[in-house]
Amino acid sequence: MASTWSSQIELTTLSLCSFLICEIHTNEKEVTEKEVTLHLLPGEQLLCEASTVLKYVQEDSCQHGVYGRLVCTDFKIAFLGDDESALDNDETQFKNKVVGENDITLHCVDQIYGVFDEKKKTLFGQLKKYPEKLIIHCKDLRVFQFCLRYTKEEEVKRIVSGIIHHTQAPKLLKRLFLFSYATAAQNNTVTDPKNHTIMFDTLKDWCWELERTKGNMKYKAVSVNEGYKVCERLPAYFVVPTPLPEENVQRFQGHGIPIWCWSCHNGSALLKMSALPKEQDDGILQIQKSFLDGVYKTIHRPPYEIVKTEDLSSNFLSLQEIQTAYSKFKQLFLIDNSTEFWDTDIKWFSLLESSSWLDIIRRCLKKAIEITECMEAQNMNVLLLEENASDLCCLISSLVQLMMDPHCRTRIGFQSLIQKEWVMGGHCFLDRCNHLRQNDKEEVPVFLLFLDCVWQLVHQHPPAFEFTETYLTVLSDSLYIPIFSTFFFNSPHQKDTNMGREGQDTQSKPLNLLTVWDWSVQFEPKAQTLLKNPLYVEKPKLDKGQRKGMRFKHQRQLSLPLTQSKSSPKRGFFREETDHLIKNLLGKRISKLINSSDELQDNFREFYDSWHSKPTDYHGLLLPHIEGPEIKVWAQRYLRWIPEAQILGGSRVATMSKLLEMIEEVQSLQEKIDERHHSQQAPQAEAPCLLRNSARLSSLFPFALLQRHSSKPVLPTSGWKALGDEDDLAKREDEFVDLGDV
Amino acid sequence: MPPRVTFQPCGWQQNEDTPLSSEYDFALVNIGRLEAVSGLSRVQLLRPGSLLKFIPEEIMIHGRDFRLLRVGFEAGGLEPQAFQVTMAIVQARAQSNPAQPYSGITLSKAGQASGSRKPPVPLMETAEDWETERKKQAARGWRVSTVNERFDVATSLPRYFWVPNRILDSEVRRAFGHFHQGRGPRLSWHHPGGSDLLRCGGFYTASDPNKEDIRAVESMLQAGHSDVVLVDTMDELPSLADVQLAHLRLRALCLPDSSVAEDKWLSALEGTRWLDYIRACLRKASDISVLVTSRVRSVILQERGDRDLNGLLSSLVQLLSAPEARTLFGFQSLVQREWVAAGHPFLTRLGGTGASEEAPVFLLFLDCVWQLLQQFPADFEFSEFFLLALHDSVRVPDTLTFLRNTPWERGKQSGQLNSYTQVYTPGYSQPPAGNSFNLQLSVWDWDLRYSNAQILQFQNPGYDPEHCPDSWLPRPQPSFMIPGPPSSVWLFSRGALTPLNQLCPWRDSPSLLAVSSRWLPRPAISSESLADQEWGLPSHWGACPLPPGLLLPGYLGPQIRFWRRCYLRGRPEVQMGLSAPTISGLQDELSHLQELLRKWTPRISPEVHSKKRDPHTILNPTEIVGILKDQFHPFWITRC
Repeated sequence: MASTWSSQIELTTLSLCSFLICEIHTNEKEVTEKEVTLHLLPGEQLLCEASTVLKYVQEDSCQHGVYGRLVCTDFKIAFLGDDESALDNDETQFKNKVVGENDITLHCVDQIYGVFDEKKKTLFGQLKKYPEKLIIHCKDLRVFQFCLRYTKEEEVKRIVSGIIHHTQAPKLLKRLFLFSYATAAQNNTVTDPKNHTIMFDTLKDWCWELERTKGNMKYKAVSVNEGYKVCERLPAYFVVPTPLPEENVQRFQGHGIPIWCWSCHNGSALLKMSALPKEQDDGILQIQKSFLDGVYKTIHRPPYEIVKTEDLSSNFLSLQEIQTAYSKFKQLFLIDNSTEFWDTDIKWFSLLESSSWLDIIRRCLKKAIEITECMEAQNMNVLLLEENASDLCCLISSLVQLMMDPHCRTRIGFQSLIQKEWVMGGHCFLDRCNHLRQNDKEEVPVFLLFLDCVWQLVHQHPPAFEFTETYLTVLSDSLYIPIFSTFFFNSPHQKDTNMGREGQDTQSKPLNLLTVWDWSVQFEPKAQTLLKNPLYVEKPKLDKGQRKGMRFKHQRQLSLPLTQSKSSPKRGFFREETDHLIKNLLGKRISKLINSSDELQDNFREFYDSWHSKPTDYHGLLLPHIEGPEIKVWAQRYLRWIPEAQILGGSRVATMSKLLEMIEEVQSLQEKIDERHHSQQAPQAEAPCLLRNSARLSSLFPFALLQRHSSKPVLPTSGWKALGDEDDLAKREDEFVDLGDV
Repeated sequence: MPPRVTFQPCGWQQNEDTPLSSEYDFALVNIGRLEAVSGLSRVQLLRPGSLLKFIPEEIMIHGRDFRLLRVGFEAGGLEPQAFQVTMAIVQARAQSNPAQPYSGITLSKAGQASGSRKPPVPLMETAEDWETERKKQAARGWRVSTVNERFDVATSLPRYFWVPNRILDSEVRRAFGHFHQGRGPRLSWHHPGGSDLLRCGGFYTASDPNKEDIRAVESMLQAGHSDVVLVDTMDELPSLADVQLAHLRLRALCLPDSSVAEDKWLSALEGTRWLDYIRACLRKASDISVLVTSRVRSVILQERGDRDLNGLLSSLVQLLSAPEARTLFGFQSLVQREWVAAGHPFLTRLGGTGASEEAPVFLLFLDCVWQLLQQFPADFEFSEFFLLALHDSVRVPDTLTFLRNTPWERGKQSGQLNSYTQVYTPGYSQPPAGNSFNLQLSVWDWDLRYSNAQILQFQNPGYDPEHCPDSWLPRPQPSFMIPGPPSSVWLFSRGALTPLNQLCPWRDSPSLLAVSSRWLPRPAISSESLADQEWGLPSHWGACPLPPGLLLPGYLGPQIRFWRRCYLRGRPEVQMGLSAPTISGLQDELSHLQELLRKWTPRISPEVHSKKRDPHTILNPTEIVGILKDQFHPFWITRC
């Protein structure tokens, strides 16, 4: 077996510096000359390293692995082992150009454990004793195990304390790798490739969005916060109801004013508001009250629809709940060894349920459907209320838009939505992901929760989305790659101020930070085809000549599940309706709910059932199923690194090539028909060729491709040991059929 | 016609093509629960013999196959009929004795077919069928034995089966006597690589065989191989009672008014243990496939009765290892051979006899196959809809396939049946001639019960035969029969092989299967799958670590899925709005485009192509309720 192990035991001493001084010392050039295999990004510096580290390929009782160097830079922890990545050119096409298979960005490290005398302990702070084995749990759910038994003692000390220091010690924002990278790569990335994602950092972008959604009749984009004069929490530009005086915005630093998110075709809009600061003093409370009264008066008058306030701070999820649920949930997938895995496997469903992560997803989706119902069926405005309007507000409002607005289901639209609601909406990515390690707390994965909710929608209605689940998975991974500015600031204000100052110090022009939406930074064009859903149902071509606004209106009207768009939300009307429906349609299940006399539930149920009883228009309103069996585990993200979970030659990938073939045929036939019909131009056929001629892929595709190749050695267990002892082994060898030669 | 409840939508006519079944048919045996509903709150559960307490506005029939039929009686003079119809169903259920054999079926279709009608799938009731199949499998060391031609070795065995060439029929007869219910070792499948998969009942420990008998038994088990593995199929798999209990729990969970809260759904599902049993089956089948494929050996599936789990495992192993078994034809032949002909007691297991030994082992098998279909969507020629059709067929009393316990009973009945099939049909006044077997209808005559459009959906559009039969080119194996005792004998149990001193229990050691194990969770230590043990470093298979044609299923908690389209059919809120299986959607578009193209091509005169049925047609109700068809599913009944 030993022959298959690669031994990269380098006895020649390298210029190793302790992690503390090397930050000053290390010359990037020198390092690259000595070690070709370590690929450094611009601005990246090697901090410490250790050789003869054994990386376990798959943990079990035997110690099988690959020898190599473990390296820690200011960007990542990397293991440089045998050149196994060169094994298969075919399969490595979905390689991330920034983060390699054995790279862990420092921000991606979740927990570090050390094994001392077979005991696993969490590592933090100053260590008195150094472990024999290092286990790293990553936020993208990879688990790395490094055996340090064969490494020199001083190297162990350096690498372990270096890794702990650089992943756990609190960091200053300015020390983020983001800035060193941007400074160093300044010259390289001059051209911003044509990227249609709307960033919402200009007034024009907001006006465009207003026009697109026909919200410009009742809402206006304002530049009152230009230069962040009013407050640092809000973006420079945003949208408010037209009659709202601009002084109101300044009054409480942007608190207590309704900010527009999105307008529905029927005129109703989704608004958000951050709550006014809590005050004890009666006088101030009076002032607040009269201020709010004034604000409500403006938006309660015609032409504005009736407003329903949805307080997300109370009676809904708390951030604490989300955090607890996720940390329980992810433990199901962070598996150190197969024994542990099989232990949990038996109780899989109850463990899954007790984490209540899926239930939280269900509650979010349900809330979004409720709001959709108000807007779509009852023609009401919905005002989301939250302390800072930057956590659950972002989540719920994005989900509502995803369900109601087909534009958000295109890739560009989805990216613009995230820009609008999350990045410009001031979601505190830096704090929620705990990128700066400001406290011992784990991350609060609100954005991840959102992506998981989106995945449920994508999974249930694949043809409605232009992007694939792989897209969502790599997007979730990008949260931890500190070369993109998108997810590394708490607010647009924080980003702008930090960019500017750096610029003054060194050069005249401001830093050019990368956005995650530039996928070419991470993936080759071929790999990017996997992010695009080949089965996406394109919009009907007839609309081509029509005006944009018209098109949207037309399409959404087609899909209305309940067409009383003009009806007022009179209760009596719905009462009658429900009675009739209950008798003839919905039966006992509903009658149970009715008896609870919850009017809101009635409307919700009716809306939900009625939508699901009709055929789906992928360019219209889209609702998820939220019953128990329908909320599922995002298998691609959570199971992709578990070798036991792979199905060789199986899963969706298996039908992919057939699918692509058929798509091509459809397209060519379509072209032929078009030729005969008119001399109209056919759409570009764009079938990904990545999967062509591929042998049997595993279900883990496109992640963790090489797991099987380097998996375990033949291991005698009780039965096989006996076989080895017997002396007629040779005879048996003769009759062994090598099907591989066939 | 067998006793049934049927709903005939307005304008519905007996379809000439599918005389036996409409989608709204419920055989009385299939009725799991009958409820009458009035208003919002009055619900009465109607047991056979109970008296209806009010005039129902609606009746709900919950099928044991998870279907749900809701019939509403609209106000306006229909009240008396509503009462009568409901009471009639109640009484019919009370009277129908499940054990009573059906007297036959009026089959006009049978009359139409002339005497030379050939069954769509070989029924394995003639020696020729067995010989053809043997040749197909290239099982050279084997022959068809006629020793059970008169069912005097065992009534539960088929008339014919395969035994090693060198074993005489007299030896077979004697050897079989030492097995439980006379079910001695027979070949199930010959692996093209040379291995043989055998199945047999438990050793009959009370018997005292002489030396010659023992030798005969041993050489039958050995089947000419020097490496022999005995697989205790009851080990680690659920008992019949376990299966039955799990299925009952599953049905309760899937009832539309199941009281399980949504956030407790997963643990409730786990509590049924149904999915647990499925993965136990898949895991074991996967292990056995590895045993059969990795070396040339004789692998013997041994179960005390040899009529339940043996059939399940042997079928699964073939599905995993033989691409032919994954075709539509191959799968049907497989079921016919390993279940029907092999004497799986369908009637008892599906509750047809009312006996206590009810256990839907076959339905467990179908769910396992569905799991495989999910995991390997390109490797099966048949679709989920086919499995659903098969699932729904087990209780439809139209054909004898699933209505008898043994081949012997089936044979008796089909003789009788012959006289009933001579029905006068207007077009074909001549009574059919020919022997009874040719006329016997089986469940595989799908066109009796399903329309052509539905049968078309049996095909899996994602089937990619590229990996399949063509690439399956086994190296011809020199047929060698090694005389003398086997050099190694193993017992495969709990995921590991342990050496055995001898094959048969009679000489000195205690009986193997006397210590028959109850189902226990696998200890965590033996976590390595057999595939990993055998192929840890698959250097000899190059880039693709598995031999061609072999599928290794996933059997982890997250990989075993819930067959929603089958089990949740009764839940109106779930069955609607499912997105179409995307490939078949594409195929529809493809055929539509081809159609269009044909129209546009001037050479071919534009045909009036039959438009696809509008998926949302509302059938006008005779009685009362319109029934809306789900666009994607041909087989389930939907609420209006």
